[in-house]
Amino acid sequence: MNDVRAAKVTAYCIALGVVAAGLGAILGVRGSVPALAPLLALAFLHVFAENQITDLTADLGSSAGVMLCTAAMVVFRTDHSALGVFVVGIAGGLYLPHLLRWEWRKLLFNAAMFSIAAVASALVFWQIAGTGAASPGRLLLAALPTALVYSVVNVVMVSIVVMFATGQRLRDVISVGSREYLVYYPFALLGVFLGLLYIDYELALLPLFLVPIIVARQAFSSYLALKRSHEATVRILVGALEAKDPYTAGHAERVADYAHYIGLELGIPAGRLERLRLAALMHDVGKLVVPNHLLNKPGKLTAEEFDIVRKHEDVSVEILTRIDFLAPVAPSATSEAAHFSPVADDRGQPVEPHIVAVADAYDAMTSTRSYRRALSQDIAFAELRKNSGRQFHPRVVDALISALRRRGEVHGAGHELFVHHASAPTGRTGSAGLGDLLPESDGIGSESTVGS
Amino acid sequence: MKTWLRLTAVAVAGALASAVAEILDPGGPATALVLLAGAVALGELVVLRPPHRCAVPLAYAFMLVIVRAASPEETVLAIAVAELVVVPLRAGAWRERVRSSVEHFGAGMAALGVYRLAFGVDGLSPTPRMLTALALGGIAAIVVHELCAFSRSHRLPPIGGADLALVASGMLMAIGFRGIDARPSVGLWSVALFSIPLLAAWYSFERLAVISRTSEQTIEALSVVPEMAGLANRGHAARVADLSVRMGDRLGLRRRELDDLRAAALLHHLGHLCLDAEEVRDRPIEPSEVAEKGAEILRQTDLANAGDLLATEDFHLGGQILRVASAFDDLATAGIEPDAAVDALYSGPGFVYDPRVLEALDAAVSGRVAAPVGAPSV
Repeated sequence: MNDVRAAKVTAYCIALGVVAAGLGAILGVRGSVPALAPLLALAFLHVFAENQITDLTADLGSSAGVMLCTAAMVVFRTDHSALGVFVVGIAGGLYLPHLLRWEWRKLLFNAAMFSIAAVASALVFWQIAGTGAASPGRLLLAALPTALVYSVVNVVMVSIVVMFATGQRLRDVISVGSREYLVYYPFALLGVFLGLLYIDYELALLPLFLVPIIVARQAFSSYLALKRSHEATVRILVGALEAKDPYTAGHAERVADYAHYIGLELGIPAGRLERLRLAALMHDVGKLVVPNHLLNKPGKLTAEEFDIVRKHEDVSVEILTRIDFLAPVAPSATSEAAHFSPVADDRGQPVEPHIVAVADAYDAMTSTRSYRRALSQDIAFAELRKNSGRQFHPRVVDALISALRRRGEVHGAGHELFVHHASAPTGRTGSAGLGDLLPESDGIGSESTVGS
Repeated sequence: MKTWLRLTAVAVAGALASAVAEILDPGGPATALVLLAGAVALGELVVLRPPHRCAVPLAYAFMLVIVRAASPEETVLAIAVAELVVVPLRAGAWRERVRSSVEHFGAGMAALGVYRLAFGVDGLSPTPRMLTALALGGIAAIVVHELCAFSRSHRLPPIGGADLALVASGMLMAIGFRGIDARPSVGLWSVALFSIPLLAAWYSFERLAVISRTSEQTIEALSVVPEMAGLANRGHAARVADLSVRMGDRLGLRRRELDDLRAAALLHHLGHLCLDAEEVRDRPIEPSEVAEKGAEILRQTDLANAGDLLATEDFHLGGQILRVASAFDDLATAGIEPDAAVDALYSGPGFVYDPRVLEALDAAVSGRVAAPVGAPSV
């Protein structure tokens, strides 16, 4: 983050803080004073909830915060104390790690955001539910627009800070992640219950309320932890490949990134996207069984050598098949399944092998190998386009090119992060991947074959 | 998807049944009871599976609502019908399905009995009395459920967070469904809404199970790569892992240590694949080189502990177990009888192997019991 952006973020945080402080002052002077016991209980719970989220992504991030703010709206409804809701909101900003590292901008931003969102949505809630006697059904109904207002205020304030911090346009950041806020609605409904139970039974039922929520959150965070550790396990494979053959350093991860881009572009759902990424990361695992001198042999392979090298695909498939989660996309590791054929009816066939094939070919062309220097991105795009509909799936090729263009990423000659073979010769386009290594007599070794 | 079909079937059946009840007796108590029985049936198909603990169905939370709101006769009837309905919808062999339903019915009856007993005790004001009775009823159901599981596996599944979440949610649903004394209540809404945290927990546990199976299978799949490359005997890694874990178990290692030992055993030949061919072309590869290389790779990941096991000093227990198990498997694969192989390791050169570890090997191979670590070895 450069200085201008940092200054903008700081100014924005201070401005929000001033707005929130002004709001608090007005409510303090003119509003009614909330009852102390529910105020302390709900504020404490909000601090507790927000400090529990260390491991969680935005998915469930402030869901407990929404619940507690809605509970405060129900509890403080009859005496119309917006100050109570305001204080419960502020409590959500007290995130201990921020406090310990004294990240005052984050503290200020969060406290201001939670309190403004809470008061704004409380006004809506009270408007709809009224401040007199109301049936539980009416309160529940009022909670839905309340959650909407809460999440809109939340999205806008967070998007503005992202805009200042990254320099992107507001329009581009504001749509991102809005789906995550869907979880706010059920939690707002739960908040109504929490409020009603508090009014009827005071603190007696609070522990009961917390247990299932804590268990769900802990289960989710241990899922996330294990997911990270599984990533690490897959890194073993990448580490093993790198230790064996420095050229592959980064290849698997780049192919996984490109496959991920393509998957996003094609609108593949999240679960399959995860599987695609892992399959792409592991597509070359079979290379572990290929002797080093063949992997990096400069010049053509003999027919026998080529057979040995080709065996790595069978090994890759066998390994992917052993993992239930990846078994459906195991063919990603073979060139047969990945080879697009315009005549064959590929409806019902998974698109993943084609994605991995295109990602693999693109990375093969845009990175330097022992026997050939990297090609420029334009040549690589042209080569993919030329073989689109023949060797490569046309939609997949289009998806990769438009995804890279939109992200503004440039790879290939002159843009490589690490070059392992600085003295490699400059080669023809057809030499990408195994293309140039095929035995002379073998027809597959023609200009049009790209990718390993 | 099949789970969704089954859930839909139960939901539709429950809705139809409650509509019939409503038509026969408009505004009567039967409608809510039928819906709650439907919730129990649905809850039987949604099972919380926390790792290393007993799996519990959501149904117990809904049973508590029935126990609280209905008469004993109605409770018995509703739970019995719900358990009968789900028998054809459960997974697995018919015997298992029937047994699950019978066991869960028994757990529901335990909840009913304990709740009634506890609620009959005088001397408490209404709210604490209700809370205590509901809590005890819920716990009774969980205890019966886990005792049944124990009678099969003989490993006592300790009561954990999932069980507490289930009981707590059931209590909240029961109180929300019909308030204590004359306090207001929100009816069936409470059952639907307090299911949300339970469903979130269920979803998280399901994802956790998938990722932990994937993680294990990834390590197992990596373990066969050296075998495919012809660097180790087929099945060597899996056999060594199995034997190491049995030996480690006998030597009193804890679960985490056993997990590390297993991973290290599965991947102990991985380093061989990565040794640069140029470096070792004209000479035999030393086992220590393979171990160092493998350790180097594992240390870059979350499996650093397993990596340390590969390249430890001779006196380290885990490393010793791994080496003994691997040496034993090499001898056994070469056609040497197990007893002779153990003897060969005992009389191995120098002070290579720790006698306690060899004892554990002997015991694991022959099925006898070894002295735990710390006990004087003879």
